[in-house]
Amino acid sequence: MGGDQKVGRRAARTWGSNKMTSFVAEASRALRRIISSPISVMEVCGTHTVSIFRSGIRSLLPPELRLVSGPGCPVCVTDQGEIDCALSLLDSGVVLAAYGDMFRVPGKSGSLASRREMGFDARVVTSALDLIEIALESPSREVVFLAVGFETTAPATAALLLEASQRRIHNLSVLSFHKCTPPALAALSSDPELKLSGFLLPGHVSVILGHEPFRFLADDGGLPAVIAGFDPEQIMAGLVEIALQHQRGEARLGSVYGRAVRPGGNDKARSLMDRVFVRRDSCWRGLGPLADSGMALREEYSEFDAERRFSLAPVRGTPPHGCKCGEVLTGRIFPPECALFGTGCTPASPAGPCMVSAEGACGAFFRFYRRNGGSRCV
Amino acid sequence: MRIGLGHGSGGRQSQELVQALLGPFYERGIGPELEDSALLPGGYAMTVDGFTVSPRVFPGGDIGHLCVCGCVNDLAVRGAAPDFLGIGLIIEEGFPTEELSLYMESAARTCSSLGMRLAAGDTKVVPSGAVDGVYFSGTAFGKLRRDTPLQATNIRVGDSLIVSGPIGRHGAAIAASRFNLSVSDLESDCAPLWPALEPLLAVDGLRCMRDCTRGGLGAVLCEWGEATGKHLSLEEASIPIDDRVRSLCDVLGFDPLYMACEGCIIAACEPSEATTVLQLLSASPLCAEAALIGEVTDGEPEGMVSMRTYIGGERLVDMPFGELLPRIC
Amino acid sequence: MCLAVPHVITEVLGENRAIAAAGAVATEIRTDLVNSPALGDVVLVHAGFAIEKLAPSESEELLGLWEEIRRLAGEPQGHGARIK
Repeated sequence: MGGDQKVGRRAARTWGSNKMTSFVAEASRALRRIISSPISVMEVCGTHTVSIFRSGIRSLLPPELRLVSGPGCPVCVTDQGEIDCALSLLDSGVVLAAYGDMFRVPGKSGSLASRREMGFDARVVTSALDLIEIALESPSREVVFLAVGFETTAPATAALLLEASQRRIHNLSVLSFHKCTPPALAALSSDPELKLSGFLLPGHVSVILGHEPFRFLADDGGLPAVIAGFDPEQIMAGLVEIALQHQRGEARLGSVYGRAVRPGGNDKARSLMDRVFVRRDSCWRGLGPLADSGMALREEYSEFDAERRFSLAPVRGTPPHGCKCGEVLTGRIFPPECALFGTGCTPASPAGPCMVSAEGACGAFFRFYRRNGGSRCV
Repeated sequence: MRIGLGHGSGGRQSQELVQALLGPFYERGIGPELEDSALLPGGYAMTVDGFTVSPRVFPGGDIGHLCVCGCVNDLAVRGAAPDFLGIGLIIEEGFPTEELSLYMESAARTCSSLGMRLAAGDTKVVPSGAVDGVYFSGTAFGKLRRDTPLQATNIRVGDSLIVSGPIGRHGAAIAASRFNLSVSDLESDCAPLWPALEPLLAVDGLRCMRDCTRGGLGAVLCEWGEATGKHLSLEEASIPIDDRVRSLCDVLGFDPLYMACEGCIIAACEPSEATTVLQLLSASPLCAEAALIGEVTDGEPEGMVSMRTYIGGERLVDMPFGELLPRIC
Repeated sequence: MCLAVPHVITEVLGENRAIAAAGAVATEIRTDLVNSPALGDVVLVHAGFAIEKLAPSESEELLGLWEEIRRLAGEPQGHGARIK
């Protein structure tokens, strides 16, 4: 498991290796030895939620370790009003491009995917820079990038805006619903109802932000907070570190992802974001409005700001009746505890984004864990 | 309700479309639902299959070759020989005849390699923009070479699940092309499997087979679970997956279980015959990597598929929903 | 909330572009977010951008933790996995 593994093989996923399997088994035994009473750990990041399910880690954890989902699913926390804003733009005839993750998220009526079926021009991109080519191909049409994501993803949007500005691509604009992670964690950690024993922190947001923005969780909140990557050995190592700190009554910011996360983070990426974006208040599904938690385009890039170009004003949405995405996202309930789970809300007809997002907790539970009858869940 | 791309992608929506909308149009008694071809009175099987693949030429094949392979495999998994094929073409105005000839020659070559006779055809031309270039539709007939029918309802607790080769190559090849990723030597697995499957028909304990097309291996196994009410249990480490497919899935955020195949089948058989089935399959170069990947159990949850993961954990494998979308989260 | 896959840089194309490979998959990536990308560098790629270079080996902290895990784990017993 050292760094001398060839990247080619690593990228091709060596989960089949005996080393990984036996490490996970050892970590699982270690957890059982360390944890003597129930503890709750919040997996902040949706990619962690899905990895934990998909790799089968969830089935190897001791029952006393309760894993709770957090708000780290940028698709899930995009307020319905923001989605409706994007859909209204699409309805007006622009070319709207977004990452695939956004396509099935339901607004008040329909989604990007359903609009595309009706003939509106919604396109999937795998990189923000794809927008340059799309805009150049259709110079007489307005081309808009629906920019959703946290600090891992926002620097790419910043690079897009810089390039569009340098190359004077006037038919391109960005609808920025990027959000910042630390304010959401601050809101959660100050919630007296939320009883947590620790945080498993998002590995790739930390690549950009470094350790400092999360230190308050340990120093002020008094809870272990550990940054981890996404493969099974990373996740298990992160959980063991949290469990050990909890057992010893410690509360430190730790990291098992030192290979990728520098304590100071990626300052180049942060400078790029700062050049283009300014903080503003933003509405999070589940958490409501949070001050300084969103990224808006700076004045000098206002020409590329879709909100200004098209006079948009996202209105805070009301979730469908019975939808409990908000409570799932803040770790208050497990997906199966929502009355709509599996009945009024399924991947086929989702009520809220947690069911449809590739890394929403509800979708993950439904796909990987759902049982016929029975509501027991850990 | 409107038909969406998801209804064509082989998962839950496709299943719903077929069952709810088209079910009433098929006379009951011709064959069980959700099999790849229908068993007709008189000892024949019949299939209808449409091909709209884009790009029309892809690493490993083209739309003409794919049309024949798809139909041949649909017949083969029910135990029918590739005897006759009819091809219907829907052609966009302005489409070059040279390109059309290319595809028809390709289809004819594949047919003749199998002794399959091109018996009928039809062409329609539609205005520019009404279709993307050309769409192929194949209708194939073949004589059944097995007395007892192969169907999902034969499946019993204890049966072995065997896949004929590495999964997801066709879907991966198409996705690589669509998203501008260069994957050296990644080709579609598009191939006619009749020569590889014919020897299996003599195995008494063979229960049924399915062609793993859109929706991949995962969709077929979920359909078997739902059709039989039994539990299917898989071993992730046993499922053959080409490293190139794995890398592509990592990069785009896809699950190889749901990537389309066009030359890969799943078979269920009596456990005592599993070794024989594997030996017969791997005698063909097209199925050299055939593998035992799991079994049918009386476990829970009923009607669903579970998998022991690489790291020794357990998780469910659900029916895929909608078209596969690349993700960054 | 972030799928990022390790890639090796196989060709530097310019100031902010490179060809990088993850296994057999080669793709053009942007390198605006990393300093002096060079041939052979291993980078994490997210949404078409290299977001960081990966250090050649695991951190001391993780290596120490592995030792602790091995010590705590001791000998295997009979814990099976179950779907939870």
